[in-house]
Amino acid sequence: MSPQLTLQAPLELSPDEVPNYLERLWGSELDASTGASTFTLVVWEPSWLQQQLIRTGHIDGPINGLLNKELFAAARSVTAECGLPLCTAPMAPELALALGEQPGHHKAEDLRGQFVDQAISAHRPRRLITLAPTLREDHPLETLVAAYCPLPEESSGSPPACGDVVVLRGGKGAIEQGLALLGPLVGEELPCWVWWNGSLDESPDLLEALALPSRRVVLDSSIGDPRRCLDVLVEMIATGRAVNDLNWLRQRGWTESLAMVFDPPGRRDALNHVVQLDIDVEGTHPVQGLLLAAWIADRLGWHLLNSYHIPADGLDVGIGAEFQRSDGESVQVRLMSVPVGIPNSHPGALVGLRLICCPQGKKPLCVILCSESGGCMRLEAGGVATMELAEEVVSVSGDSEEMEMARLLSGGHDSTNPLLAAAAPLAAKLLPL
Amino acid sequence: MTSTLTNPLRVGLRQERVISPQCLVIFGASGDLTHRKLVPALFELFRQRRLPSEFVILGCARRPWSDDDFRGKMAEALADTIRDHHRDWEQFAGNLYYEPVDLQQSEQLLRLADRLDGLDRLRATRGNRTFYLSVSPDFYGSGCRALADAGLLSDPKRSRVVIEKPFGRDYGSAEKLNRIVRACAQENQVFRIDHYLGKETVQNILVLRFANTIFEPIWNRNFISSVQITAAETVGVEERAGYYESSGALRDMVQNHLTQMLALTTMEAPGRFDPEAIRNEKAKVLQAARLANNEEPWKCCVRGQYSAGGSPSDPFKAYRDEPGVNPNSTTETYVAMKLFIDNWRWQGVPFYLRTGKRLPKRLSEVVLTFREAPVQLFDAAGGSPTANQLILRIQPDEGAGFVFDVKAPGSGMRSRPVDMHFSYDESFGEPSDEGYVRLLADAMLGDPTLYTRADEVEAAWRLYTPLLELIEDSPWRLPVQPYEAGTWGPGAADSLLASDGLMWRRP
Repeated sequence: MSPQLTLQAPLELSPDEVPNYLERLWGSELDASTGASTFTLVVWEPSWLQQQLIRTGHIDGPINGLLNKELFAAARSVTAECGLPLCTAPMAPELALALGEQPGHHKAEDLRGQFVDQAISAHRPRRLITLAPTLREDHPLETLVAAYCPLPEESSGSPPACGDVVVLRGGKGAIEQGLALLGPLVGEELPCWVWWNGSLDESPDLLEALALPSRRVVLDSSIGDPRRCLDVLVEMIATGRAVNDLNWLRQRGWTESLAMVFDPPGRRDALNHVVQLDIDVEGTHPVQGLLLAAWIADRLGWHLLNSYHIPADGLDVGIGAEFQRSDGESVQVRLMSVPVGIPNSHPGALVGLRLICCPQGKKPLCVILCSESGGCMRLEAGGVATMELAEEVVSVSGDSEEMEMARLLSGGHDSTNPLLAAAAPLAAKLLPL
Repeated sequence: MTSTLTNPLRVGLRQERVISPQCLVIFGASGDLTHRKLVPALFELFRQRRLPSEFVILGCARRPWSDDDFRGKMAEALADTIRDHHRDWEQFAGNLYYEPVDLQQSEQLLRLADRLDGLDRLRATRGNRTFYLSVSPDFYGSGCRALADAGLLSDPKRSRVVIEKPFGRDYGSAEKLNRIVRACAQENQVFRIDHYLGKETVQNILVLRFANTIFEPIWNRNFISSVQITAAETVGVEERAGYYESSGALRDMVQNHLTQMLALTTMEAPGRFDPEAIRNEKAKVLQAARLANNEEPWKCCVRGQYSAGGSPSDPFKAYRDEPGVNPNSTTETYVAMKLFIDNWRWQGVPFYLRTGKRLPKRLSEVVLTFREAPVQLFDAAGGSPTANQLILRIQPDEGAGFVFDVKAPGSGMRSRPVDMHFSYDESFGEPSDEGYVRLLADAMLGDPTLYTRADEVEAAWRLYTPLLELIEDSPWRLPVQPYEAGTWGPGAADSLLASDGLMWRRP
């Protein structure tokens, strides 16, 4: 997708000049009435992987924060030389960390925040504020400002709705120092979205400062320590903040496919007789699998009895749990890590799901959902051939992060999705201590 | 036990767009449509969590009600709906307000503007407004003018106006109304409603055609021999005689609902799923449509009016005996016609449209009949070979069916038709939203995809102008023919197809 063009070259100003400059800009160069009456989007955009791949010469610049095929291919190709397992997902923070140990001094222009992906610009953000931390910790704070308007062919005859972009760039300390700017820039009149486009392990204070209760937060529970990811989600939900999880959104093909299996009314009774649920995920990040298991358990009214690690050869290879159905019968749940040759971009992508139902007086029903990028042979084993089999292939979404984000923006969700709000606390309990 | 009446895994899965903070102003709030359709649809949106917390419904009508009166009237009218959702209703009713307004009195519009400003401050609705004209069609033009004069449509990004059907009575009046509306607001602020477009199954015509690769290659004159579009009702005129007497089936059903089904069935594929792209294609195909005989329209159209019928235990009155109907009325309650579309895709393919009241079944469907096999290799078990048919069932039993020949069991090689069918109920098992739920949400989201554009409306009226002029100027050329209530219309409608060697599908 082509990026949106700015009206003017980004202007570097000292931080304290920015609010006044923007006020002047909208009063003179741009007619204030053309300002989009939409929302403010604040993005934490560390792009550590891209920055490290560029620094070490594996890809060329510029640094723009966009995830593309070239970036993922380069990341997959350096996994082994960094000493990480081949099934490490490109977006796993450990890859960027390992790359940080490698030598390299390549430089590139830093254009983070100055491109607005078309998927997002189509929603006409009134103000896009990008926090762009640099690899150099002592990098001083730089503040860039520009205005943008939609390209004529994108406005579809509707009146122009312009906006502006503000970039705060510097070392982490400098960014934290620049936070004071955010208050006046965000304002109260329009909704504000905060997109934490990085690992949940880093800068917890900064996340806390950005994710004020009045703002709508978007994060990704696949990036960071699983316990920390779930704890952040649960805490935000518990404190009534509107939180959206891109990792949750990525599993919608699975929830939709499973719901579809039980759409025909004749199949629905089987849901009252589930005895076993197996979920396979890529690598060792279990959060997406746990969220899926928790969603199923919540929707079917199961009560969690216990959860435990499943060891093999001295390693934890999975998570087991026992639930009790509302009729008192037991349901066994197992979430297993499976190795894959070419991992998905984000850690812990779902590979397969098996749900076994044993309705009384009827043939058992076995539902197997399988990722189109992987095999389900493990789930197809174990005597399921004697059961009524319902198999579906779940397509892998090729949508970019920006596209997912654009969907959220178009949805205008000002509260947490109730399914996520119910599933996240249960997923946190499912993850054994 | 979890209830399996609904699919528990389906609940809450739909990732719907959420409406921005705003105020929905309903003019005609004391009318039938408000409590029968609009407020129930808004309550449903509220229950689906699709309304923001900063949301207001401001009812406006001439009656001197208070906010509490309005809330009470709506609660009374929706008593059955809210019985099981009392807590939801309590919350929802807090969003209902009322302002006595006569659209013809400019000072009252100024007072309304003040009230809206007050509600903006009180409920943080940010000046974002949707005005719904649920008033007599005579007031659409003056209503728009009054809103514009009061400055309520001046911000194209924050104000929009929804106009109910019928949009005009003929081409001339529709064009005039469009001129007035365009002078008051930009086209992207205007939402002309046709509730048929809110039906899932009508929208499914687009998905079936353009999400599958198997249909488009055969969706043309080379493979399709004829198309029938039917919208049949079992009910009579009910309490709508006042309106129906001046409109009739042609204006009430054909110009809007049947024409929309025709447009969706015959339009070219849009380049993208975008409101303008879709409406461009619909307008283009309607501009290419014409009556089968524009010079002598009485030869391609049949009008009918139901006479008494039914059984001794369940008798039906004749239309002329219905309350409020002129005993000598010549209003048609049934109309059937033949159309052509002059473009590369459809040249020469006849389209038969019919609609009527007091027919034996309530149903709406589009039936595409395919050409017969060029050589008949097999004897047909039924005597004559059956053409393939694709049936898109709009309502009831929503779904689709495909009729094709298979080998009849036995030692010979005889063919017989079978029906392969898809049913929304069997596949999804969930009731779909009432059309107004979807359409109201879209208007408040500013998405005009399922609304008709000015040129579409005009093209639809232009298509039927020869018929309307004929009925106006020489009604004896196209008299209303009586048909017994509970039958499939006048015999002349069968003759219309019989002359082409065809028959209406008997559903």
